[in-house]
Amino acid sequence: MLLEWMMNGHAILYTGVTLAFWSTILIVGICYTIFDLGFRFDVAWFLTETSPFMWANLGIGLAISLSVVGAAWGIYITGSSIIGGGVKAPRIKTKNLVSIIFCEAVAIYGIIMAIVISNMAESFSGTTPETIGARNYQAGYSMFGAGLTVGFSNLFCGICVGIVGSGAALADAQNASLFVKILIVEIFGSAIGLFGVIVAILQTSKVKMGD
Amino acid sequence: MAGSRWTTQVTLMPFWAGLLVFFATATSTPQVPLLMWSTESLSPVASPAGHITSIDQFSAYISSALGSGPHTVLLFLQNKLSRDDFTVYGGVFGNKQDSAFQNLEAALQSSSSSVTFPALEWTGSSAVLALLQEKLGASSVLTDAETLSHLSIDTFISNLLLINLPYCTGLEKSCKEVLHHNDEIIGKVLSIMKAKNVPYTAVYTGLQPSRVIAESTLSNSPMGRSLLQTAAPSVKPPIVFNNDSGTPCILLWAQNLNVSFKDTEWTDLNSQTPSLTGSMCNGSFSLLVLNYENGTSLSFSLSRRFYPVSARDWFTLDSVQLQFNGSVATYIGSRNIYAPAEYSFHCQSVSSFRDPLLVPNDTDITLKDWKLNFVDFQIQGFTLTNGTNFSYASDCAGFFTPGIWMGLLTSLLMLLIFVYGLHMIMHLNTMDRFDDPKGPSISVPQSE
Repeated sequence: MLLEWMMNGHAILYTGVTLAFWSTILIVGICYTIFDLGFRFDVAWFLTETSPFMWANLGIGLAISLSVVGAAWGIYITGSSIIGGGVKAPRIKTKNLVSIIFCEAVAIYGIIMAIVISNMAESFSGTTPETIGARNYQAGYSMFGAGLTVGFSNLFCGICVGIVGSGAALADAQNASLFVKILIVEIFGSAIGLFGVIVAILQTSKVKMGD
Repeated sequence: MAGSRWTTQVTLMPFWAGLLVFFATATSTPQVPLLMWSTESLSPVASPAGHITSIDQFSAYISSALGSGPHTVLLFLQNKLSRDDFTVYGGVFGNKQDSAFQNLEAALQSSSSSVTFPALEWTGSSAVLALLQEKLGASSVLTDAETLSHLSIDTFISNLLLINLPYCTGLEKSCKEVLHHNDEIIGKVLSIMKAKNVPYTAVYTGLQPSRVIAESTLSNSPMGRSLLQTAAPSVKPPIVFNNDSGTPCILLWAQNLNVSFKDTEWTDLNSQTPSLTGSMCNGSFSLLVLNYENGTSLSFSLSRRFYPVSARDWFTLDSVQLQFNGSVATYIGSRNIYAPAEYSFHCQSVSSFRDPLLVPNDTDITLKDWKLNFVDFQIQGFTLTNGTNFSYASDCAGFFTPGIWMGLLTSLLMLLIFVYGLHMIMHLNTMDRFDDPKGPSISVPQSE
């Protein structure tokens, strides 16, 4: 059975890529160790030499993209259930759009945070770690962290709301009195997206990029 | 070569083979071809390709060929003659009809015997003429076609008849025409001689070679190939400071130690020899002072410490001091110039103004124009175990630059996202829960 699973082309590709990646890391690490060149593996050098702008923009990009992935996933799960259930019980379609709106809210959180974070990016004139200054590094890392925070929170929030909304639509199709209670579950699910937004705002509250 | 023929005559004279042992190895020896044909028999000559017959060999041959009895020798002495003239004008590429030596060829073929010296060493003009005069014991008589017909030849004594032929000067006629004209003269003379029924030996040669092409044989050029690159200049040794017990303790090497006190006026201190007074070294602190003649002094101070996080000793180039005319400028290098204490530090460019590794310690405002630029710089101040050789050089340039790292990170992240999305899309399935293969198939009506 394992062999049948492995015969899938995707599985072979993913196994191959993972193997190549980890073996490269392993062999490079072994070579560095053997030749006593471990001192050249310098995380601090990496963190100070890479530009804060890269981190900031990665944060902005991830904020919007991960939120949109969550929203899209949730909407497609809920939407298919509403459309499918609506064939036999057309009365559900208006009420269950609320689930879609909860999913969409997640995407709106994402875009608002992306705009808020991107407004904090300013240019600075330093080129070496000393002249760039600690505040600019802090700004870059904070923006990256905030983007990750809001992105992943919204991603899982969107999936959660989507699955709950799908169940709500189908339950509503069976029995109209079930829908209102299920909506409470959805509200709890949607709150976690809001948590992510709040924390991201807190992370970027002290950001001051520039000279 | 046009007109050359071996005779199939009787007695093979093998003693020529013995004489012609050595090969010509000299480059660009001037040489003239010599064609000889006779109504009598001439002993054949074995002449290997490329062999240059020396005058002595030719002289010996002439002695043997013309030694006995009186001979009449017709010497056609062209102003210049080379083997290449036959190649160019002799119709050798299948175009026999264009040959400028048709009478000559005919004479060689119809003669009783003919001998060719494709390359006779040319030592000076009229060597052949003098030789023939000497061998025959007769002085040459200058003739041409007209006078020859009126001349009566006494066959009981040796006669040497000299016919001068011109060579092309390129001014009036083309070379081909001149040679053709010469050929006609040869033909006329030979027919006159035939009419007189006089046995003769004819020699056709040149007074000097018309083309001298430098020929170098294989044995001169070295076998194999050699690089065209010039020999690498020898590398100068590093600046070595020895400690009290005489072992090397600080090593410094640089291709250039450029300093500038005013804009765009650079001095390379490395072209001068410094004195190292004032230098010192111990296990944790090294100071290398380079004093130059005009009062400039450059000093490097290195220190070595144990760093607990990495649990090894590192050394840093703390400061570089440049002293000139009583002023001292200090440059801090401890931030960027460091290496584990067992290794040396190498950097292609150590400067104070361009991607600076040496940061000016700006105390004195008048010294802000002073600049340092060390090219191909390598320094080691501790744990020299290998005599005057540097240990492994920890280079200032890593394998990946920060830009490469940033690019790799972002692109790999995007690749991961793409692959994940692609995986999801490829696993979208059509719902088949309500498929009923046995039920009626869906019919889509064509009309409204």
